[in-house]
Amino acid sequence: MNLIRMKSMLGAIMLAVAIASFCPPANAHHSFAVYDRSKVLTLKGNVKSFQWTNPHCVIWVLVQPDGGGEPQEWSFETTSPGVLTRDGWNRNSVKPGDRVAVEFYALRDGSHGGGLSAVTLVDTGQKLTASFGEKAELK
Amino acid sequence: MKNLIRGALPAMILAAIASGTPPSDAAEPAAKDPINPPPTLRDWQALAKLPDFGGVWTPVISDQVAQERTNPPPWNAQVAKQIQHMYSEEKAGRPFPVIDHCFPTGMPSYMLITHNAFELLVTPGRVTLLGEGDGNRLRRIYTDGRPHPDDPDPSFHGHSIGHWEGQALVVDTIALLPEVYLAVNEAVGVPNNGDMHIVERIHLLDAETLADDLEITANKLLSKTWKTTRKYLRQRSQKYDIVEGVCEQGSYNEGVDKDGNSIFVPIKFHNGVPVGSDSK
Repeated sequence: MNLIRMKSMLGAIMLAVAIASFCPPANAHHSFAVYDRSKVLTLKGNVKSFQWTNPHCVIWVLVQPDGGGEPQEWSFETTSPGVLTRDGWNRNSVKPGDRVAVEFYALRDGSHGGGLSAVTLVDTGQKLTASFGEKAELK
Repeated sequence: MKNLIRGALPAMILAAIASGTPPSDAAEPAAKDPINPPPTLRDWQALAKLPDFGGVWTPVISDQVAQERTNPPPWNAQVAKQIQHMYSEEKAGRPFPVIDHCFPTGMPSYMLITHNAFELLVTPGRVTLLGEGDGNRLRRIYTDGRPHPDDPDPSFHGHSIGHWEGQALVVDTIALLPEVYLAVNEAVGVPNNGDMHIVERIHLLDAETLADDLEITANKLLSKTWKTTRKYLRQRSQKYDIVEGVCEQGSYNEGVDKDGNSIFVPIKFHNGVPVGSDSK
């Protein structure tokens, strides 16, 4: 590989990095209109982690595809630690390795993610429900 | 007597009584180099006569929705087209990212569209709102009688001064960044584009319900001043105590690096929401 070609490749890499760095930042806070709330779907899997963060908490679940193959990672997003705490949750309500059945509103774009409606811990039968904030005013 | 207890006057009188100096002596150095005088016992006692605004409040979201439907802003013709398009996009499941950037929601959206709690503190010369979402949003309302600065730096929450009129706190806010949205929900709103002016009348509707009557003048967006009200419920239960909310934290999960250090690991987003790492 000659020097000119290496410089050209380096330039291309730098350009790619520059373009990537100008992409909009990851978006933590958003409207829940991205979810199709006309129906609730259910998936079963194993919890990978429970992200207990503002503005939204996320349960990351590994789901075995129907057709076999490697488990696929899904995100199930809900409200915030503050709102969930008032719903009776805490940061240990769902733990890595837990077998869960997740009820969710699917992302309209078909990505592996959804808005959390409820999660049932398969081994204990405990069901935790989550709201999108509407319940706060009722308490 | 109530009419006398307004704006700058009570703070100046109390400060003068406390220090034993006439108001004119106190005012002169203040004009050159304003200071924040230490609050006196009488300053604290005066707060006890005010209506009880303190504590944690949650927005009445159902009323937000009702207000959005029944009392929309008087958008000018150009903005109305943008708003109509945003409603269409929201309905189609492609919400416009009014709040996606992790900047503070800003005023007046803070009061209009938030789904999160805020804590209200009343202290001598100051009313403070500490929001739970979006990096613990913060409003400072000066009630010590100061005017707005001649040329304040624009900010997300603007410069707010307030005074008590009977049982109501009247707040005047200017100096908002032109990029700050005037939003009616989390997916519908437009930047104010400058020169927005907000007057609020905050008062109790009953012992545990707070109302904020807003008058929003935004000449770049609205054909006339928009008057609207938002309501909040006081939450006495300690489970409502405000928790830290760092918006950017939601873009990361917990992880461990090759040296065993606990680090934040970026999560995957698509169209603004977290998705499984193997999603397209």
